[in-house]
Amino acid sequence: MNTLQVENIRKTFRLSKKQRKIEQTDLKKKVAVDDVSFTANPGEIFGLLGPNGAGKTTALRCIATLIKPDQGDVYVGDYSVLKESSEVRKNIAFLTNELKLEDHFTPNYLYRYFSRLHGVDETVIEERKERLFKRFGIDRFAEVKVADLSTGMKQKISLAISLVHDPNFIVFDEPTNGLDVLTAKTVTDYLVEMREQGKTVILSTHILSVVEKLCDRVGIIIDGKLKAYDTLENVKKQSSDGELETLFFDFVKESLGEDHA
Amino acid sequence: MRNIMTIIRKEIYRVVSDMRLVVMVFLLPGLSIFLMYTLMGNVMQDQVTAIQEHQIILYERNMPDSLKNQLIGLDLGDDRVLNIEIHEAKDADTVLADRVREGDIDLVLLFDENFEEAILHYQSMALPQLKVFYNYGRQQSNFSYNQVMSVVRAYEESVRISRLEDPEYYFVFHTAFAENTVDERQMAGQGLAMLMPMLIVIFLFAGAMSIGPDAIAGEKERNTFATLLITPTKRSEIALGKVISLSLLSLASAISAFIGIILSLPNLMMLENGAGELNIYRFSDYLSILFVLMATVLLIVGLISVISAYAKTIKEASMLIMPFYFITLIVGIVTSFGAEPNQAFLVHLIPIYGAVNLLSGIFVFDWSMLNLITVGVSSVIYTAVFVYVLNWMFNNEKIMFQK
Repeated sequence: MNTLQVENIRKTFRLSKKQRKIEQTDLKKKVAVDDVSFTANPGEIFGLLGPNGAGKTTALRCIATLIKPDQGDVYVGDYSVLKESSEVRKNIAFLTNELKLEDHFTPNYLYRYFSRLHGVDETVIEERKERLFKRFGIDRFAEVKVADLSTGMKQKISLAISLVHDPNFIVFDEPTNGLDVLTAKTVTDYLVEMREQGKTVILSTHILSVVEKLCDRVGIIIDGKLKAYDTLENVKKQSSDGELETLFFDFVKESLGEDHA
Repeated sequence: MRNIMTIIRKEIYRVVSDMRLVVMVFLLPGLSIFLMYTLMGNVMQDQVTAIQEHQIILYERNMPDSLKNQLIGLDLGDDRVLNIEIHEAKDADTVLADRVREGDIDLVLLFDENFEEAILHYQSMALPQLKVFYNYGRQQSNFSYNQVMSVVRAYEESVRISRLEDPEYYFVFHTAFAENTVDERQMAGQGLAMLMPMLIVIFLFAGAMSIGPDAIAGEKERNTFATLLITPTKRSEIALGKVISLSLLSLASAISAFIGIILSLPNLMMLENGAGELNIYRFSDYLSILFVLMATVLLIVGLISVISAYAKTIKEASMLIMPFYFITLIVGIVTSFGAEPNQAFLVHLIPIYGAVNLLSGIFVFDWSMLNLITVGVSSVIYTAVFVYVLNWMFNNEKIMFQK
């Protein structure tokens, strides 16, 4: 079963004095994700939409087993992130800006290194590398140190490396951030391709057009809470004018109103 | 196991494929030590030679001829003759004192008039006086004083003996030294036992310090560690892979320093045949040293890895490691310049101290297999604890991700 189920996860962080000053709050803890549940199915792209700081990355980090939810659980296929984190990691691709590649190495070296850590067979490594590098145009830069490559190329290498083990679950956190139009299109095209291959794709973004163009179902997260969660069509219906943008801004305004109340 | 090997290979490749790191980790320790110690040795040697070859300027008044004759052409051994220029002191005492202070004159010996006569008629005449001017603040003057006064004291002794009815009365007893009580190898090893254990441990620490913080705290700082953490590799495998690779690299760095020390030793210790000094050690001794090095490097790398995993940045890691480096430094100095190697079993359980103590013992051939095993086993246990802590830290999101 290739369904990804997020079940009532909650994640709080302790705020340092400095963070409290920045966020202008006296609270010692911040609830980054508050009782969030959703399901992503195979053969669809699930979009997690929210402004910066809404809790998207925290939720995805919980899915990717980098951090543990304080309550609730996430099931990646049959595996729980709390109890079987190693199995989860075998089946998931996680791409986020916070994960970097070591500048000193070449794409070739890093691809092989991460493939081996994922336990991929040597023959499969080369065959898959060739395919992915060609697909993303990395092949010409395969022996250039990451340090000497452009931001877009680095992102494409990160993308290829996140897929070394051909996982069934793809979790991409703002994958087109900071990319030029051409590179962004390569990434979004690939997401569509993976959907067609029957993979379960979760995509977080704050760009409404990306959601409208790619996602089958969507969850809107504001201040750690899931405000809307349904198919893109049904979510749009919740808006006064049937536009996702209107609904999104209504939620943001509502949240700002709550803050000021 | 496969993942551990993958991580080890990558960490080693990271260093050996970077010319800057190769120079810093493998070449610089040995080369800088060799150059530094050779230079130090040469400067010291030059200084000693300059003093030994210095021509002593001696001013005298009423010096007995017999003494003068002894000083001129005095054989110092090793085909060397005392290089001395003797002048008659005509100036006033105060002028002579000034000239000695200024360094014009090395030594002034003013004998009383009728000095020899007074010695000869010692029963009826007053005790004659020898007035000495020398500047112990100047090496040349000091050296001149020691050389010339040893002849004067010998002269004094011969006079004392001649006053006795029977010269044999001068001696209170004979001292006879039994043969075969000195282990020549042990004696030859004393110098190395004082110097080497301290240097070895310091260089092991310095080697680990130059790469450890970058491999863990650096990866955290650059956000590359998280990329490793989302692979299915067990945290314990990452911890072991890091510790083993860093240990191998630090060991190579320490061996480079070790080679530097050995090559510069003849110069440093001003030995005519410095290599001969090291020939006293057998293959098994070198093997024991290597064993202690390996055990110690594991311990040091384990400690540095834990500190680096705790730190948020390389800078913070380096800062936190410093106090431990100073402790190692102090332990090294205290043990090396302290008493003889401690043979007690429990001493060898103390991290670092036990290893330095054992190394001192190995250099003077005064050690036991039990102590060697104790150092080895205890180091492995301490390292296992560090790896366990490291594993726990890699699993702790607060430590790994908090900015």
